[in-house]
Amino acid sequence: MEPSRRSPPPSMETGRGEDEASQAARERIPRIDPYGFERPADFDYASYEDFFSTYLRILTNRAIKWSKLLKGKNSVQKNMKVKRYVRKGVPNEHRAFVWMAISGAQAQMDQNPGYYRKLLEGERNDKLVESIKTDMNRTFPDNVKFRQTADPCLQHTLYNVLVAYGHHNRGVGYCQGMNFLAGYLLLITKSEEQSFWLLDALVGRILPDYYSPAMMGLKTDQEVLGELVKMKIPSVANLMDRHNVMWTLVVSRWFICLFIDILPVETVLRIWDCLFYEGSKIIFRVALTLIKQHQASILEATNFPDICEKFKQVTKGPFVTECHTFMQKIFTEPGSLSTATITKLRKSCREKLLVQG
Amino acid sequence: MSRKKTPKSKAGSTPASSLPTAKENGPVGSGAALPAPKAPRNGLLLPGRPSLSCSGDFYDVAFKVMLVGDSGVGKTCLLVRFKDGAFLAGTFISTVGIDFRNKVLNVDGVKVKLQIWDTAGQERFRSVTHAYYRDAHALLLLYDVTNRASFDNIRAWLTEIHEYAQKDVVLMLLGNKVDSTQERVVKREDGEKLAKEYGVPFMETSAKTGLNVDLAFKAIAKELKHRSMKLPSEPKFKLHDYVKREVRGSGCCRP
Repeated sequence: MEPSRRSPPPSMETGRGEDEASQAARERIPRIDPYGFERPADFDYASYEDFFSTYLRILTNRAIKWSKLLKGKNSVQKNMKVKRYVRKGVPNEHRAFVWMAISGAQAQMDQNPGYYRKLLEGERNDKLVESIKTDMNRTFPDNVKFRQTADPCLQHTLYNVLVAYGHHNRGVGYCQGMNFLAGYLLLITKSEEQSFWLLDALVGRILPDYYSPAMMGLKTDQEVLGELVKMKIPSVANLMDRHNVMWTLVVSRWFICLFIDILPVETVLRIWDCLFYEGSKIIFRVALTLIKQHQASILEATNFPDICEKFKQVTKGPFVTECHTFMQKIFTEPGSLSTATITKLRKSCREKLLVQG
Repeated sequence: MSRKKTPKSKAGSTPASSLPTAKENGPVGSGAALPAPKAPRNGLLLPGRPSLSCSGDFYDVAFKVMLVGDSGVGKTCLLVRFKDGAFLAGTFISTVGIDFRNKVLNVDGVKVKLQIWDTAGQERFRSVTHAYYRDAHALLLLYDVTNRASFDNIRAWLTEIHEYAQKDVVLMLLGNKVDSTQERVVKREDGEKLAKEYGVPFMETSAKTGLNVDLAFKAIAKELKHRSMKLPSEPKFKLHDYVKREVRGSGCCRP
């Protein structure tokens, strides 16, 4: 799934039995990944190790380049070079810093000193607090850092971030899915306040109205994806039409959770690197790439449940685990995707939805 | 999709079958979209011979069931208990959006496949999920006996169901989490009273202990099977009576 930086695996010997290789890989790779997630029971250790031995070299290379880029700097400006660097992946040790800088979260935090604390000390909306509490034990139970026995326990910090955000952005309050977003931000930044401002960057600026009660932006973007598929992968669009499969059924979690718990952790983080820099367009690139890459398989589906199943399968396997190649693909596979096109489609889809009521 | 929500077999827990939706075969939607074996009333499938879905489960008839109710009342846990016989103690995540799983039941010698839809409970997701109500053959409406608000919201849920679901949808009210006797705040009588008012069958369940979970789904399956396959000579299946007869109480002194 995601690389373990603790134990770089030795390259694999050849000529060994599959089981033996898997067993050996299993012994070398920790059961808990660097972010605290337990690897699933069916985790493919052998092919992961295979991938990771290549990826490790890329990571090392990128780490050196980023260190040079950031040397002696306390901020990072957006420019073509940085954009290129971001697309190739931000090293985890710089992620919090780079996300804060390129998303504008750092600027917001600097302009509003003490604001986060004040939110936490302010009056509470009971209903909001209640709905957040409902999800505390249901956010990453497979992550050791979110267990109640963990010290520090990220459940408490997650609660604070969500309560503060719900009171900051009252139009949104709390929407399920935000718990996963905030959870990831805490794992990366290890800071409540930074997570708060990054959540604000995502929910308040980067994603257009996904989480407010009417979820209008979410519904719009699902329709926009449908239109893009019609343009770029018409055979799949036809299949969906023929079987009356609404896009919301197969992709709502992709949009709401920004691929958390859908794609491997490292892949999600690489996507988020670009999301913070380039904005919500990236979500369409990822979705289109997943669909296009697997279109032959999707087209084998002959009925409604099969289609749903296919859309689950497209988020699994080596294609998504190999995050570096995957991230290259998202910029080539779907072809051109201009901001103007997205803006236009968003407008027409939104109008259509409003007419439908 | 979620590694937490499918702790058991993968193949069995994913939608991989030839069950049609009402949209394809039923009275609602575009009727002739799929060349199904037969497309009789109420959107169900009656193949000439048992169908074999991709996951390898034979069935004679198939129906769509939806789990609805407030966030955190235990919809996913109820489904997993029924599907896999397991309780997801601290290993499940909040359901975002909508998903479904299949299970085939044997009802009086007929293999009935239930396609069970699990939905996000949070209010704002309803505008996303109620589009699916109209295809549902049955709805299981849940509240949590340890959460008063989830019970108080049942009326709102019923209003929503009446607005979006089919008129003849099979409906059942379930008071879940009765294993938490210490924290219980909704009495069984309250649930019974409300259910009576709306004329829906009612039972208390526990996804944790499994109390009445299989029964709830079995009762639904029986009712749906009888509705679709009843012979003229057969007596009508009485869902209310069946539930009353079969239901188990949560306490030791209850029948």
